Amino acid sequence: MHSGLRYLIGFNGYPFSAVAAVVLHCLVLGFILYWNTASDSSEFDLVQPTVIKSLFIDENPQLRERRRLERQQIQRQQEEEQRRLQEQQRQQEEEQQRQEEERQRQAEEERQRQQLLEQQRQQELRDQAERERLEEERRRQEELAEQQRRQQQQEAERARLAEEAAAAAARTEFEVVQSGVALIQQFIEEAWNRPPSARNGMRAVLRIGMLPTGEVTDVMVVESSGDAPFDRAATNAVYSAQPFSELQQMPINIFNDNFRTLTLIFQPEDLLN
Amino acid sequence: MGEQLGPMQLIFGASLEVQIVIFILIALSIVSWGIIVQRYLVLSTAEKSVHNFEERFWSGIDLGLLYKEGSQMQEEGVAMAGMENIFRVGFKEFMRLRQQGNVDGEAVMEGAQRAMRVAYSREEEKLERHLAFLATVGSVSPYIGLFGTVIGIMNAFIGLASQTQATLQVVAPGIAEALIVTAIGLFAAIPAVVAYNRYSSKVDSVTGSYITFTDEFSSILHRQIHTTG
Repeated sequence: MHSGLRYLIGFNGYPFSAVAAVVLHCLVLGFILYWNTASDSSEFDLVQPTVIKSLFIDENPQLRERRRLERQQIQRQQEEEQRRLQEQQRQQEEEQQRQEEERQRQAEEERQRQQLLEQQRQQELRDQAERERLEEERRRQEELAEQQRRQQQQEAERARLAEEAAAAAARTEFEVVQSGVALIQQFIEEAWNRPPSARNGMRAVLRIGMLPTGEVTDVMVVESSGDAPFDRAATNAVYSAQPFSELQQMPINIFNDNFRTLTLIFQPEDLLN
Repeated sequence: MGEQLGPMQLIFGASLEVQIVIFILIALSIVSWGIIVQRYLVLSTAEKSVHNFEERFWSGIDLGLLYKEGSQMQEEGVAMAGMENIFRVGFKEFMRLRQQGNVDGEAVMEGAQRAMRVAYSREEEKLERHLAFLATVGSVSPYIGLFGTVIGIMNAFIGLASQTQATLQVVAPGIAEALIVTAIGLFAAIPAVVAYNRYSSKVDSVTGSYITFTDEFSSILHRQIHTTG
């Protein structure tokens, strides 16, 4: 027996083993923490549930388009504002320069005038007073223009804020649309009797027209699955699931934008064959 | 999702019941690992000392000399382990009974054997200490983990009931939180079960060699009685 081992088993080895156990757990904990910080977050990105019997591709192209347009408009406005500010600065600088020149010129004239006779000087003085008055007038006009410009800017700012609020409203509108789509999807799923000829991988795309009361006015097969009974079953499902009376509570503008016509995909994914 | 969801966030964000269960499981795991290490040290020294002592015993050394060597070592403070203990107890009893003179040979043998049996069972007890705890941890901690999981999933579904629109994002963290408890339960149980199986077979082999040694030693003593007496 070597002495190292005997040293370890002092007091029957209890102290050593307790320390070893605690150290081991700390190591495991440290490893988990390290792994946790080292791994990128994409591992935990959750995705929307995709395994649904019937899928809706309609993710509101109108809404998306409109949001894109809004974003572009805001950007354009910001750019314009910047340009306007630059312009203003440039104008101010020019103005200053002009004044400076004016002043220099005046000083020179004064020097020339000092060489002239006193009567002439008096006359000059009168002229100068006149000129100063004009100058004053011009300056006042400029100030007025400046004020007007500032007001315009404030108005533009206010308009921009209003647009931002509208965008926020659109975001909540998106949620309303989502829940509406989920409802329709649920009703249609319940009403959908698949024919025996239905196979996995079949896909029928239907376009339905709806009234604000939730009634379906027409159903059109946009893309056939190639199996007539399947298409018919999908159409029947839509008709027997209507009316979607919950849509009545929806604000009319949201309805018009998103539900007036709706594209649905029917795709069985849970069949055995 | 903006925030990252890792094991640590799950544990610290869990409900109180689940956290208590996790705490119990981690405590069990620490204790069972302590026992695993301690038993490893004890059993490996026992195995080594069996080997060493058997070598010395069968080297042809005089038994009285071997006994004296052992006494000397004991005085030096070296702990007597396993097989040597059995030998010393048996030999001591044998010598004492023989020195009384008028004791019958069979009675001497019987006395020595009885003393060795007692020493043997004491040694066996020493080796098997705490192994039952490992077995308990191994079989119970998965159930404790499952209990925590059930509570966690229950909480997740209660939270789901209050939602109007059930999405995966609502349920997923609760279920992940619940599953991590099972993971910790298994983390505690697996080493305990492995160590229990390993150590009980080790104890079996060591006690088996003790029994064999006891038999061989009594046959030697028997021979000694009948050749001299």
